[in-house]
Amino acid sequence: MKTVFRFVLLAALVALGIWLWCVFFPGPEKIIRKRLTELARTASFSSGESDLARLAAAQNLAGFFATNVEVNIDVPGRVQHTFMGRDEIKEAVLGARSTLSGLKVQFPDINITVTPDKQSAVADLTVEVNIAGERDSIVQEMKFTFQQTDGEWLITRIETVRTLSRTGRRTNFPVLSC
Amino acid sequence: MPAQNPVEQLNGRGRSQVPRWLRIVVIGRNPKVTLARAAVLAILCVVVFKFCLLHIRVEGISMLPAYQDGSAHFVNRLAYLWHEPRRGDVVGIRLAGPHVMYLKRIIGLPGETVAFVNGRVLINGEVLDEPYEKLPSDWRLPPVKLGPDEYFVVGDNRTMPPENHVFGKVERDRIVGKTIL
Repeated sequence: MKTVFRFVLLAALVALGIWLWCVFFPGPEKIIRKRLTELARTASFSSGESDLARLAAAQNLAGFFATNVEVNIDVPGRVQHTFMGRDEIKEAVLGARSTLSGLKVQFPDINITVTPDKQSAVADLTVEVNIAGERDSIVQEMKFTFQQTDGEWLITRIETVRTLSRTGRRTNFPVLSC
Repeated sequence: MPAQNPVEQLNGRGRSQVPRWLRIVVIGRNPKVTLARAAVLAILCVVVFKFCLLHIRVEGISMLPAYQDGSAHFVNRLAYLWHEPRRGDVVGIRLAGPHVMYLKRIIGLPGETVAFVNGRVLINGEVLDEPYEKLPSDWRLPPVKLGPDEYFVVGDNRTMPPENHVFGKVERDRIVGKTIL
């Protein structure tokens, strides 16, 4: 009984040690996940935001991106935009926050692949956006490329993933008219 | 006579206060068996609802009239273990993961050519009979050739312009399962 107790205690201590190690020395994947959660929180807002808060939020949000970031958003029937650099993102954020009455951003699914040198990573994720006053949410799969710069993981590129593709090899197949 | 232990007193009082029928209803005649049953049930629920059936709630009108906005359904992840997806199946299509999925109907199978002419679907040049499509459509889209691992999926409600509808080719590995219920 004593041996069993010692074994259980040892296992618990090992588990605690691993947990503490993960808490104090998180891997790149965990850091990126945390960054994405913070990004979603910063990008979300509700109505009644002051100008100062709006400016601070835009500044905060720009801090998630590298200076030479490239963002290509192409949601069929909704949005089609390309932003180059932090300043353009900041302007877009300010514009969106002053025109929309509220926004909720979520990343329900995140898959992260870190390169072997642990200097860059790609996050394939689902973006779910709820605009205040609109019934249906916008859902889009996107790819975020991260680069580690001065110990910080910054987004260098965002591109839209075509989950369903409409383009195909054009054929000369005869088309019946009906 | 020695004073009764307070814990015993409490236990004794507790036992007398709970009617026997209520104890049987709540924890059964044999609490150990009830506990084992509850554990098995919990494990079964976790396995079924995590690996076999995914609960989904429809958001949007793209699958009208078969699937109403806000209605709840299940996606059977085991549906395509023994056979490949079939034409007419309504399937869940994952994006980056299974928490948010597209709900679409398969109209084109691997290797086929899919086109839309005056709202009718043409598969390899022949009109596809779609009894589920009850709403008017005037879509015209050029033929798309599907690869060996690609399916063509689309919503049943094609009343809106194609630009506002999410549809197209999808790889087999993105099909999570078939909707049931």
